[in-house]
Amino acid sequence: MNTDLVIGMAGSGGDGIVSAGESLLTAAALEGYHGVMAKSFGPQIRGGESSFRLRICTQKVLNTGGTLDIAVALNWDDFLKFGGELPVSGNTTVIYDANTNVAPDKIPLVGVTPAEVLMVPIEQIARETGGSDRAKNTVVLGLMAGWLGIGKEKMLAGIRKRLAKKGAETVDKAEKAFHAGLAYALEHPLKRTRTMAEPEKPTAKFVVDGNDLCAAAAIVAGCDFFSGYPITPSSEIMHFLGREIWKYGGTMLQAEDEIAGIGAVVGASFAGKKAMTATSGPGMSLKTEMLGLATIAELPLVCVNVMRGGPSTGIPTKGEQSDLLQAAFSAHGDVIRPVLAAISAEDMFPITIEAFNMAEHYQTPVIVLSDQEVGQRKETAEPIDVSTVKLVERQRPSEKELERYARFRLTESGISPISHPGMKGGNYLASGIEHNEAGAPTANGEIHAKMNEKRLRKFNPLKRRRDLFIVEGSPDAPLALISWGSVAGMAIEAHRILVSEGLKVKLLVPRLLFPVSEEVYQDFFLSIKRGLVVEQNHLSQLYRLLRMYVDVPRGIETLAKSGSNPFTPMEIVDRMRQISLALQRETQHVPSEV
Amino acid sequence: MSTLAVRPIEEYTAKDYKSELKPIWCPGCGDFGVVQAIYRALANIGRPPHEIAFISGIGCSSRIPGYTTAYGFNTVHGRALPIAQGIKLANPDLLVLGAGGDGDGFSIGGGHVAHVIRRNIDMTYIVMDNQIYGLTKGQLSPTSRPGLQTVSSAHGSMESPVNPLLYVLGYGAQFVAQGTPADMNGLAKIIEEGIRFPGFAFINVQSPCVTYGQEDQQLKAQKAMMQTLESMKHDPGNRLAAMDLAQQYGEKLYTGVFYRNPTPGPTFDGLARKRQQAMKDQVKSRADVLNVFKLVK
Repeated sequence: MNTDLVIGMAGSGGDGIVSAGESLLTAAALEGYHGVMAKSFGPQIRGGESSFRLRICTQKVLNTGGTLDIAVALNWDDFLKFGGELPVSGNTTVIYDANTNVAPDKIPLVGVTPAEVLMVPIEQIARETGGSDRAKNTVVLGLMAGWLGIGKEKMLAGIRKRLAKKGAETVDKAEKAFHAGLAYALEHPLKRTRTMAEPEKPTAKFVVDGNDLCAAAAIVAGCDFFSGYPITPSSEIMHFLGREIWKYGGTMLQAEDEIAGIGAVVGASFAGKKAMTATSGPGMSLKTEMLGLATIAELPLVCVNVMRGGPSTGIPTKGEQSDLLQAAFSAHGDVIRPVLAAISAEDMFPITIEAFNMAEHYQTPVIVLSDQEVGQRKETAEPIDVSTVKLVERQRPSEKELERYARFRLTESGISPISHPGMKGGNYLASGIEHNEAGAPTANGEIHAKMNEKRLRKFNPLKRRRDLFIVEGSPDAPLALISWGSVAGMAIEAHRILVSEGLKVKLLVPRLLFPVSEEVYQDFFLSIKRGLVVEQNHLSQLYRLLRMYVDVPRGIETLAKSGSNPFTPMEIVDRMRQISLALQRETQHVPSEV
Repeated sequence: MSTLAVRPIEEYTAKDYKSELKPIWCPGCGDFGVVQAIYRALANIGRPPHEIAFISGIGCSSRIPGYTTAYGFNTVHGRALPIAQGIKLANPDLLVLGAGGDGDGFSIGGGHVAHVIRRNIDMTYIVMDNQIYGLTKGQLSPTSRPGLQTVSSAHGSMESPVNPLLYVLGYGAQFVAQGTPADMNGLAKIIEEGIRFPGFAFINVQSPCVTYGQEDQQLKAQKAMMQTLESMKHDPGNRLAAMDLAQQYGEKLYTGVFYRNPTPGPTFDGLARKRQQAMKDQVKSRADVLNVFKLVK
């Protein structure tokens, strides 16, 4: 019996790879399992390579795991294009289509002998039962239902529902293909059983991705206006709001370019509404001037960056965490712009709500960092109780304040009550040009210094928001494991393994990346001798950002990789074990010298 | 300005729209006349200043919102239109004005003009066209005449000017007019007409730069060469005739309304409001958005 399985499948775009993965995840979720499914594609619009990695677990998981337990190749060319994204080990059961005409001992995997290799006539079964090779994915679902022992009825129900519109004959053929796959699996039991154990405490769940959940959170947060420009992998946020926002009295504008997208959002915020835009790297580069404008005009807005491989066009279809420094320092001038990052699709809900609250409270643009994995992966998520969501509104001027209103009044907190068009007595000039308390343009150095100080001072309380950090492990542990964003899901799991092995490791996952909360890190680093910062970019951007603001212990190392080169929890565990040994050697060495 | 008819008109004078800020413009700048014409037009319309949002980009002329008592927003270079559209869509009840120079509207921000026209957002965009970059001290602008020698074109311009009138007519603008501070009454009148037009209105103002402009562009010269379209018996409902006249931009100075669509099309803001009304009963509270996700049981 298995409690945790990772399944990877690859084929051509038309093979229905992703829909097969989603069917399997949904069926598993309906039976009470937890799961995470990442999708990965080649750059082609149709017919390119396509894959999923699905992890099914009897308890909650935050990542898609390490090497595959089951690998399914509909053809080898496409499978091999994913390289390290679909890693095969000596424990993997490899299943591939007999139509590839490759003998089981000749499969093109280099440097590894899988636990078991099965050549299955997937296409042949599909043609004989489903009537065409388009039923290949349904045959695979039948195989999985048989070998994993899960989801049979749910997947059949899913097939019926999905194909109902296409008529009884289509449904019948698909059911036959599924049953044929199932029968094949039952006739050919695997040497290494892949049967799933019963799930722990089945609970009702959503199956969601980060982009959709971000959009839904925006509506719950009170967002009345969205404007953006199509860009992979963030467009689904715009699609969702284009369908839904009108019902709540809001408006979605597909702008003519990235600049106009955030420009309209700046305008909507000036008009008094909560507003959001979403984009990815190249769009973020274009939006930076408007971020500066919203900062100096002190206008709330949320800007989501679903990160992809950069620079420039980079790898649009695959994730990377390489826009952190851009998020922290984009646009010119002396500026703080809060940056939040979600660690999972599920986390996009609270992070997006937090972003709106922070934007409204501090009258500032807030950047939410997601990435292709968080944005587009499907995962099981706990039901959301909206009644517990707390919303923050921007501070409006009182009637008394409107009698002699000064929009940018130098208050103790640095936050000045904000009016909006339509509010009598609140009339003021907003501007990108430096201004005095009343809003009048100025080139006076003293006023500029005071206004800069106000705009920066107002963020001081933000640096004490310890609730935006995940800290786990014994407070006096000498080893540190730090990570952020989607990769943090790997680090959290690695940390649990390390602690269970008896290593004294503390985990730190910032969900607020900027401004750097110096106190939080300093407290965390007090006991730390050695450790590791894990992130998906080449430059070790979080590590370098921390070194800029905090006394990072010299024993902190980095594990940083460019995008689409996946981490595995065990890779982090192995590196931490080495760091632990290094610490022991170093510490044992000291007394002999004394 | 579709909501005007149902509103009680209070008594406002031009002074009610003038702020206390002292303009940074050079003495004799055409923009003084433009802001005066805007005060007059707004007084005739009679919306209280706090219900007006006045958005500009960057440039000498883009300082203009600060000289009014409306809610102003002096934004970044070339982006007045996207920001103004966001404001109008967020609150369609506001009277929204946009303004800027020819560089703001037809060079750095030129890409936005087509799209505000396409959407027909109910707002008025006033371009103060002086054929030069004044704020940055005299470089070529998109409407500078061929051969013009400036600090950035020491040997003469090798480019043809943009024709703002044909540009917007070509994209299908439904209200297109041109004025000059040399004719204050005429300018105030077309600004008022533009604001009253139910949809996007474009007004090109020949607003001379006294510091870097040419002699034959100054108010005195304009007065001598201007011809009102009214006096020429031009039918503003005739789009082809409007385009024909607009071709004379740079050669002749025609003032008045080139084109006013006799049967104005729908506005994006109006359609958005209709869609919101039509869909609002589908949900009870914002929490309903989570019903989109399949809650599996």
